[in-house]
Amino acid sequence: MAARRMGEDGPREGAVREGGAAGAAWGDVPDDEPAGGRHVEEPGRVAVADPGSPVPRHEYTVAAGEWQNLPDAVEDDLMVINMGPQHPSTHGVLRMVLTLDGEQVANNEPVIGYLHTGIEKNLEYRPWVLGTTFVTRMDYLSPLMNELGYCLAVEKLLGITDEVPERASAIRVVLNEFMRISSHMVAMATTGLELGSTTAMIFGFRERESVTDILEYVTGLRMNHAFIRPGGVAQDLPDDFPERARIEADYLTDRIDELEDLLTENPIWIERNKGVGILTREQCYDLGVTGPVLRAAGVPYDIRKVQPYSGYEQYDFDVPIADTADAYGRYLVRIAEVRESVKIIRQVLDTLPGGPVMVADKKIAWPAQLALGPDGMGNAKSYVAKIMGQSMEALIHHFKLVTEGFTVPPGQVYVPVESARGELGYHVTSNGTNKPYRVKVRDPSFLHIGTLPTITRGLMIADVIAAVASLDPVMGGVDR
Amino acid sequence: MSQTPLNPQQPNTEDVSRTEQINLREAGLDIQLSDRLRGLRDHLVGAFPELEVLGFRGELTLIVRPDRLIDLLRFCRDDPDVLTEFLSDESAVHWPGGRVEEQAHETTGWPTITHEREGRIEVDYLLTSVTHNHRFRVRTDVPDVDPVLPSATALWSSADFMEREVYDFFGVRFEGHPNLRRIEMPDGWEGHPQRKDYPLGGVQVQYKGATVPPPDERKY
Repeated sequence: MAARRMGEDGPREGAVREGGAAGAAWGDVPDDEPAGGRHVEEPGRVAVADPGSPVPRHEYTVAAGEWQNLPDAVEDDLMVINMGPQHPSTHGVLRMVLTLDGEQVANNEPVIGYLHTGIEKNLEYRPWVLGTTFVTRMDYLSPLMNELGYCLAVEKLLGITDEVPERASAIRVVLNEFMRISSHMVAMATTGLELGSTTAMIFGFRERESVTDILEYVTGLRMNHAFIRPGGVAQDLPDDFPERARIEADYLTDRIDELEDLLTENPIWIERNKGVGILTREQCYDLGVTGPVLRAAGVPYDIRKVQPYSGYEQYDFDVPIADTADAYGRYLVRIAEVRESVKIIRQVLDTLPGGPVMVADKKIAWPAQLALGPDGMGNAKSYVAKIMGQSMEALIHHFKLVTEGFTVPPGQVYVPVESARGELGYHVTSNGTNKPYRVKVRDPSFLHIGTLPTITRGLMIADVIAAVASLDPVMGGVDR
Repeated sequence: MSQTPLNPQQPNTEDVSRTEQINLREAGLDIQLSDRLRGLRDHLVGAFPELEVLGFRGELTLIVRPDRLIDLLRFCRDDPDVLTEFLSDESAVHWPGGRVEEQAHETTGWPTITHEREGRIEVDYLLTSVTHNHRFRVRTDVPDVDPVLPSATALWSSADFMEREVYDFFGVRFEGHPNLRRIEMPDGWEGHPQRKDYPLGGVQVQYKGATVPPPDERKY
């Protein structure tokens, strides 16, 4: 507190706050430092000393980095407008600095970082198994795919990829396909909303909600499940999951027809999407674009097919492509992918293998055995009785694994999975300890945002919205 | 390379399989690679004899000096037998210099090793070929004091965002990059957060002036 420090250190110049409630700011900010933490020297922000006010006042100028290279608006007859980060149609907190020539976009500079939370850095200070709870929050529309990529990478480093039980892999596949449907539904729903079709939004979110219900039924959570763990999955499926999932698959088959009836032949939808946001195959290669956007340019590149993981090679499905390379083609690819996902879900349910859902290695498998008790999900009574009353070794194992976790051999691996948006890859580096040394995520949305200058050049502002929506970026994944 | 912190002079006799893996990697052996990647390695080493090769968990890594990096990347993109259309990702790892004590857990049986090393930043370029369906990594490393690398933006436009991210998080300057600015952190941020020497800072809590220490100093 200012008053106490004045008493200790003697009066200091600039210490104008004279005790009392007015000066009682917790956190003890020194008086000669303006509030605002580390980035006080931000070029766009000039602290102005104001003796009358206890808090320094800030003046905002246009000297920040993204404004430096802008054209002289008067000379070139161009207009620079700022779109976002708080804009309802920029998918979260994306900001675009648009340079307009009349109504047409002459340049578009995306500015990101508003949702940067340092997840990659955070992972470096947590045991390996806790990583799943962090990565699941990156791309928040497909959390299970993040978990799958991370867990496959950790398993590859541990060298236990082949030891993951078949049932665990099948559960991962079925949950991931439900996740893909839910993510595509949101993609089409938000595109609909941004283009003015509220019905599409209601339909898409209603279908997404039904998928979320079934994910909640399995994992206990609607989002951010942390259900896939290194070595398997957290828990076995409920007994009646296959029946419920079949009902859900039938329901989705009907509903996707309904959504398609609404949109595919809709003249407004076609008018707004056809020929907008074109990315040809060569441009996709150059810009690192994957997923439905690349497939809409006619390249049947799907990680599930070309580098199968978790047993995707057992299932019969097609990789839908389009040849229009525009927003409408991406919509068609997404619709077709939802149908393929339903197909995969049915096949997994038909061939669901039995057996354990976690690797047998007790040095890696999470020791708890969950069961539903009177106060919710927790350790099974029989398991608690065993570690507390019968087996000292089991208690030691439990304690060591829960407090320290397992260690992972040193090395670096890269594991890609096909997320709803494209190639989601995990670079995981270990130095042999019980924590990751470095985790780098290759998020498809990050690179898709990098294509914005290319795909929006020459468009109207209204088409910029359609183009951004067709890329389906998720800012949680972009900024991480 | 600085990737492997464990010293092969002190093998751990209790866990032969892990020690073997580490030694294999130390020796640059690649028995874990598939035939396709082995053929690719021979082809690339034929064109660039100075390449150092690493095989680990079925993944091929080619280590190149920074001055030959762009030549190698251009060769990979244009050569019909390699033909990597995608620069899938660029990532970096910081290995700080000085006296390093590698943590080893008592449960693993690995020895704790102390050694001197120079601070390095490893930058990985992940190359993917759609045509041939292969994927490998090109790695180069620079000192962590004033690191400079040539930019790959002339070869792939996707390098633009990726190099900005590596610059933002590690401070590697990419020469020839058209717009090398911070991308995730605010423009005036000091320091590069993914470096291991970046101070983490504690968390102030609203209880009698208490402070939660930074994560690397916590006892829990």
